[in-house]
Amino acid sequence: MPVRAAAQRLGVPFLILLSALLIVLGKADILVVDRARMAVADAMLPVLDLVARPIETATQMLQKLEAAGALYQENQRLREENARLLQWQEVARRMVTENGQLRGLLKFPEDNPVTFVTARVVAESGGAFARNLLVNAGARDQVARGQVALAGEGLVGRVSEVGTRSARVLLLTDLNSRIPVVIDGSRERAVLAGDNSSRPQLTYLSSKAEVKIGDRIVTSGRGGLFPSDLPIGQVVSVEGSVVRVELYVDLGRLDFIRIIDYGLDGVLPQSAMPQPKPARQGKGAAADPAR
Amino acid sequence: MAIARAQRDDGIAARLMPAVTTILAATLSVVPMRMPGFAVVTPAFALMAVYHWTIYRPELLAPLGVFVIGVYLDFLNGTPAGLSALTLLLAQVLVMGRRRWFVNRSFPFVWLGFAGLAGLFMAMQWAVAGLFDLRMLDFRPFAFQGVLTVAIFPIASWVLVRAQRAFLRAA
Repeated sequence: MPVRAAAQRLGVPFLILLSALLIVLGKADILVVDRARMAVADAMLPVLDLVARPIETATQMLQKLEAAGALYQENQRLREENARLLQWQEVARRMVTENGQLRGLLKFPEDNPVTFVTARVVAESGGAFARNLLVNAGARDQVARGQVALAGEGLVGRVSEVGTRSARVLLLTDLNSRIPVVIDGSRERAVLAGDNSSRPQLTYLSSKAEVKIGDRIVTSGRGGLFPSDLPIGQVVSVEGSVVRVELYVDLGRLDFIRIIDYGLDGVLPQSAMPQPKPARQGKGAAADPAR
Repeated sequence: MAIARAQRDDGIAARLMPAVTTILAATLSVVPMRMPGFAVVTPAFALMAVYHWTIYRPELLAPLGVFVIGVYLDFLNGTPAGLSALTLLLAQVLVMGRRRWFVNRSFPFVWLGFAGLAGLFMAMQWAVAGLFDLRMLDFRPFAFQGVLTVAIFPIASWVLVRAQRAFLRAA
C-alpha cells in the first residue's frame, strides 16, 4: 500500500506536467499527434455514428411535426418561389449557352472536373474555443486536406485533418479560419475571420470600402484555397470597423455536407496531407486567370 | 480499510463504472445535438463525471484515467491535445483535497461546490487556450459554457447516482 500511495502522489504532478508538455508539443504540429488524433476519430466513428443517428431521427420528427402545422402557408410560399425561380432558370440557361460560346471564342481553358462525396456529420466540437465537425468520410473516400465543405445554401468550411474513414472540417466560425472573400457587386476584397462566435467578421477591408447590411459575401478564390464565387453569407451588422456576416448555412443543424475536390492545392502545407494527383496540380490556378 | 473491502466486494464491471461513465460523458459532449444555440457550446459533461466520482469513489477514477480521458476528449474535439487533460486533472486535484466537505452533504451544497469548480475550470480553459493561441480570447463563450454546465449538472448527477447505486456498494 505505501508504494502505491507514493506512486499516486508522484503520479499527479507528473501527469499534469505531461499534459502541459503535450500542449506545447501540439503547438509544433507534430505529425504523430495529428495521426493519433485522427486514429482516435477513426476508431470512434462507428460509435459516434450510432449515437448520432437516433438524435438525428428524433430532431427530424420534431421538425416534421413543426412543418405539418405550417403546411398550407409553406405550400403557398413555395409556389410563389417556384414561379420566381423558373424565371431565373430561364436566365441561367441563356447565360450558360452564352458563356459557353464566349469561352469558345476566347479559347478559355475548361475548369477542372469537380468530384465530391457526401458525408454525415458524426461529431461537433462542443468546447468554447473550437468550431469543427467530424464527418464519416476520409482518405479512402478520396477526401484530402484543404478540400471544400459545402451544404445546401453555401460554404461550411474546409477539411483540416483526414483519417482513413473520418475527416475534420474546420468551420468558417473557428478562431483559426481565415477566408479570402469579396463583397458581391462592389468586388471589394476582405478576409472573413472566424472568432468562435456564430457570426464571423470581415477584416482587412479597405477604409474606402462601402459595406452595408444585406451585402452578399462570396469567396474570392485568392490564395487558391477555394474557387471563386461560392456563396458564404450576408452582412448583418456594421458597427464602426466591425462588420459581421451571417452565414447562409445554419452550422448548428448540419446532418450532411458535401466535400468537394476542386483540384486546388492552395497554400496549405503539404506535409501532413495525402498528395493530390500530380496531373491536377497547377491546373486550378490556370483555370482561373481572371483573378 | 473500508475502501479496500468495498473494492473487493465490487465486481470488475462495477469497478470500471466510473471510468466508463466518464468516457461516455466525454463522448456525449461531441455528439451533435440539433438544438438551436446548443451546438455552439455544449456542457462540459466530462467535468461532471470527474467531480462526481472524485467525491464519492475517488479510488475508482485514478488521475491516469482522467489524463487518458482528457486526451481522448481533446482528440475528438480537435482542441490542443492535453488541454482537457490538464484542466480536468487540475479540477480533480482541487476536488480531491476538499472531498470531505462534500461527502454526505445535501445536494444543493454539492451543486454549489460544482458551480465553483465549473467557474474555475472554465477560467483555466480560457487561460490555457488563450496562452496556446497567444491572444486574448473572448470570455463570453466560456462563461456561457460554465453556466450551461452548472445548469445541466443536477440531471447528470441524478444519472450518476443511479448508476452508482445500481452497480456499486456504498463505500
